Amino acid sequence: MFRRGQETATAYLFLLPFLVTSAVFFFYAFGRAVYYSFTDFNLFNTPQFIGPQPYAQVLADPSFRRALANSLVFAVVTTTLQTVFALLMAVALNNRIRGMAFFRSAWYMPSITSSVVITLIFLWLFQRRGVANYLIAQLQAYGPLLLTFLTGLVLAQVLQVWLERRAGRPAGWFDPALAVVSALGAGAVTAALAFLGVVGVREVLPFDYQYFADKWVTVGGVQVLSIPLLVVIIQNTFTTVPTLMLFFLAGLQNIPGALYEAADIDGATPWQKLVHVTVPNLRPVTFYVITVGLIGTMQMFDQVAVIGSAAPRDTLITLAYYVYANTFRAGAAPVNMAAAGAIILALIILAMVFVQRRFFPSEVRP
Amino acid sequence: MKRVLFLSLGLALLTPFAAAQTATRTIKINGYGGTDQALVNDLINRFVRPVMAREGVTVTYQPLQGDYNQALTTLLAAGNAGDVMYLPAETLDGFVATGKILPLNGVVNTSPFIRSLNTAFTRNGRLYAIAKDFNTLTLVYNRDLFDEAKVAYPNNNDTWSSLATKLRTLKQRLGNEYYGICLAPNWDRFGAFAYATGWQQFDSRGRTNLADPRFAEAFTWYTGLARDKVGVTPSELSAGWGGDCLKTGRVAVAIEGGWIVNFLRDNAPNLKYGTALLPKNDKTGKRGNFLYTVGWAINANTKNRAAAVKVLNLLTSAPAQQYVLEQGLAIPSRSALQNNAYFKKTDPGAQNARLVFAGADDGNVRAFTFGPQGPDWAKPINEALASVLSGQRSAADALKKAQADMTTFQRR
Repeated sequence: MFRRGQETATAYLFLLPFLVTSAVFFFYAFGRAVYYSFTDFNLFNTPQFIGPQPYAQVLADPSFRRALANSLVFAVVTTTLQTVFALLMAVALNNRIRGMAFFRSAWYMPSITSSVVITLIFLWLFQRRGVANYLIAQLQAYGPLLLTFLTGLVLAQVLQVWLERRAGRPAGWFDPALAVVSALGAGAVTAALAFLGVVGVREVLPFDYQYFADKWVTVGGVQVLSIPLLVVIIQNTFTTVPTLMLFFLAGLQNIPGALYEAADIDGATPWQKLVHVTVPNLRPVTFYVITVGLIGTMQMFDQVAVIGSAAPRDTLITLAYYVYANTFRAGAAPVNMAAAGAIILALIILAMVFVQRRFFPSEVRP
Repeated sequence: MKRVLFLSLGLALLTPFAAAQTATRTIKINGYGGTDQALVNDLINRFVRPVMAREGVTVTYQPLQGDYNQALTTLLAAGNAGDVMYLPAETLDGFVATGKILPLNGVVNTSPFIRSLNTAFTRNGRLYAIAKDFNTLTLVYNRDLFDEAKVAYPNNNDTWSSLATKLRTLKQRLGNEYYGICLAPNWDRFGAFAYATGWQQFDSRGRTNLADPRFAEAFTWYTGLARDKVGVTPSELSAGWGGDCLKTGRVAVAIEGGWIVNFLRDNAPNLKYGTALLPKNDKTGKRGNFLYTVGWAINANTKNRAAAVKVLNLLTSAPAQQYVLEQGLAIPSRSALQNNAYFKKTDPGAQNARLVFAGADDGNVRAFTFGPQGPDWAKPINEALASVLSGQRSAADALKKAQADMTTFQRR
C-alpha cells in the first residue's frame, strides 16, 4: 500500500512540470480569456462586467465574419488536400526499393524547416516577377513544342501497343519499354519539325499575375476563397504533408501483409488494394490525422503574420489573426472582443471534433 | 567581484529605501529600433547624459525592435515602459486612452515649437508630447527620366492637371518599361490629395464622409493616374514603397517625405533627383499635406517626474535639434530653426529638407492620424484604392463600397 502511494507520488512528481505549465498557460489563461470576454477590458482599465455584449460586437464585425469564412475554407480545403496527399505519399514510400531512406528524409525536409522561412520563400516564388509567373511564361512559350512532343508520344505508344497485340504478345498501355521507344520517336519528330520551322518557341509577354492582391474565387457572387489564401493553402499543404505522412507510414506497418497477399490471390488491382485494404485499416490513423489537421489549420496564424501587409488584410485574415490584431494595437485595444473571438474559435474547434467523433467512428470496421 | 555584486544586490533587495533611491536615479528612454538607434544614442550621449550625470541621474536607452506601437503597448500595460518615450502622432489616441501618458501642459514650455505640431499632439486641450521632428510629403523625381523624355521637371506651381499631363507625356515618350509615378494604394499618401480639395477627415459628429464630391474628385484623379499605366503601384514593381520605386530607375516620380534622402543616398547613389512641392488642386488652388510627426512623451507613472521632464527638455533643446538638422537626419520642430543655414544649401538633400519644411505651412496641412478607432479606419479607403488601381473596380463602385464599409466601421 505504502509502495503504491509512493509510486503515485513519483508519477505526479514527473508530471509536475507539465501540470504546472498547463495550469498557468492553459487553464489560468483560458479562464482569464473567458472572464475578459464578458467585460469591457481594454488592456489598461479595471475590467467591468458587461455581459455578452462583446460577443454581439464580434459577430457584427465584418472582419470577424471574413476571418471566420477564411478559417473554415482554409481548414476544410487544407485538411482534405494534406490528408489525401499524405496517404498517397505514405503508400508510395512504403515500398522496399533502393535509396528509400534518402527519399523519406528528402520528403520530410519541408516539415522541419521554419514556417517563417518557407513563407518568405513562397512570397518570393509568387512575386509578380517571381518563379511561378516565370514558369508559366516559359510553359506558354514552349507550348507548341511540348504539345507536339506529347501528341507524338501518345500516337507512337498506341501504335506500338496495337502492333504488339496484333502479333499476339501481351502489352499494357503503360509498358515502360515501349514508352521509352515512343518518347525517343516523339523527340525525334519534334526536333525535326522544329528544325524545319513548322513548330517553334512562341514569343510571349512575361506572364503578369499578381497573387497577393484583392482577388477572389467567387461562387454565385459570394467571395469564397482569395488567391493569397490559395497560395497559403498550397504552402501549408506542402509543409504539413510530410508530418502527416509519417503517421500514415507508421499505420501502414501495422496492416498485416496477409491481407495484401489474399487480395493478390483474388486478383485485386493496386487501386482496389488501396481502397479496400489500406484505407479501411488506416481508419484510426486517418481519424487522428484529420483531427490534428483541422485543429492546426483552424488556428493558422504564422503565415498570415509573416505575409502581413504584403496582401490586403481581408484576403488572409484568419480567426487566430483576428484575435491577435485586436489585442496588440497602439495603446488601448478591444481585448474583450479578442477574447470573445478566441472563445468562439475554441467552441468551433470543439464542435468540429465532436461532430467528427460522433459520425466518423475511429475504430476499424470488423 | 561576483561576491560584491551579490552583496549589493542582496542589500538592494533588503532595504526598500535603497531600492527606491536607485530607481529614482535612473531614467529610461524608449525609442524606435533599426537605423534610428544610432542617432538617438548619439543624441543622448552628446546632450543628455553629461547634464544628467552631474545631477547623479543615469540615463538608459532601450530601443524597441519590430512594431514600436505594439511593443510600447505591452510595456505600458505591464508597467515596464520607459520614463520618457517616443509617441507617434498617428497612434496618439490609442495611447491617450490608456491614461499612461502624462499631460505636459504647465510642465513643459511649448511656445518655441511650431504650433501645428503642438496641435497634432493635443487632445481635449491637453498636450501629450513635444514633437521631436516632423516630415511632410513632397514630389521626388528622377531628373534623368524627365531629361530623356524632354519633359519639364515638376515644379512648385504645378496643378493636378499640369502634373498629370507631364507624367502622361513622359510615359508616352519613354514607353512600356517606364512609369510616370509610383502610387501607393494607401491613405498615408492619397490623403494629402483629399485634403487639397478642402475635404475634412471627420465631421463634427466624428463621422467620415467618403461620398463627399471633394473626396471623390481626389480619388478619381489619384486612381486615374493609373490609366494607361502612367502610374504604377509599388507591388507591381516588387517594390515596397516609393523609394524602392525610384531606385528601380523606371519610375519618374514618387510621393515621399524627407526619409527618402538617406535611402537614396545609400541605395541609389547615382540617381539624380529633385524635389517639388505636391501639386495644387485645380479648383481650390491649394495643396494638401500630411504632418508626420513623432514626439517625446512622459510616462504618467514615472517615479521621477522632475528628471524625466529635464530629459525631455534636453532631447528637444535647440542645440540638440540644430545638431540633428545639420546631420541631415530630420526637420526640427522649433520655429526658430527655420532660418538655419542648412536650408539654404543647394544639394538635393537640403533642397528636399527645405521643401519638406515649407510643406508644413502651405495649404491644407493636417496631422497624419487615423482618429480614435485606430489604423483600421483607413482600411475601407485603402481597399478602395487597391481595387481601382489594380483595375478590378470602377472608381464610383469602389467609393460606394468604401462608404458602406466606413459606415459599418464607425458604427462600432
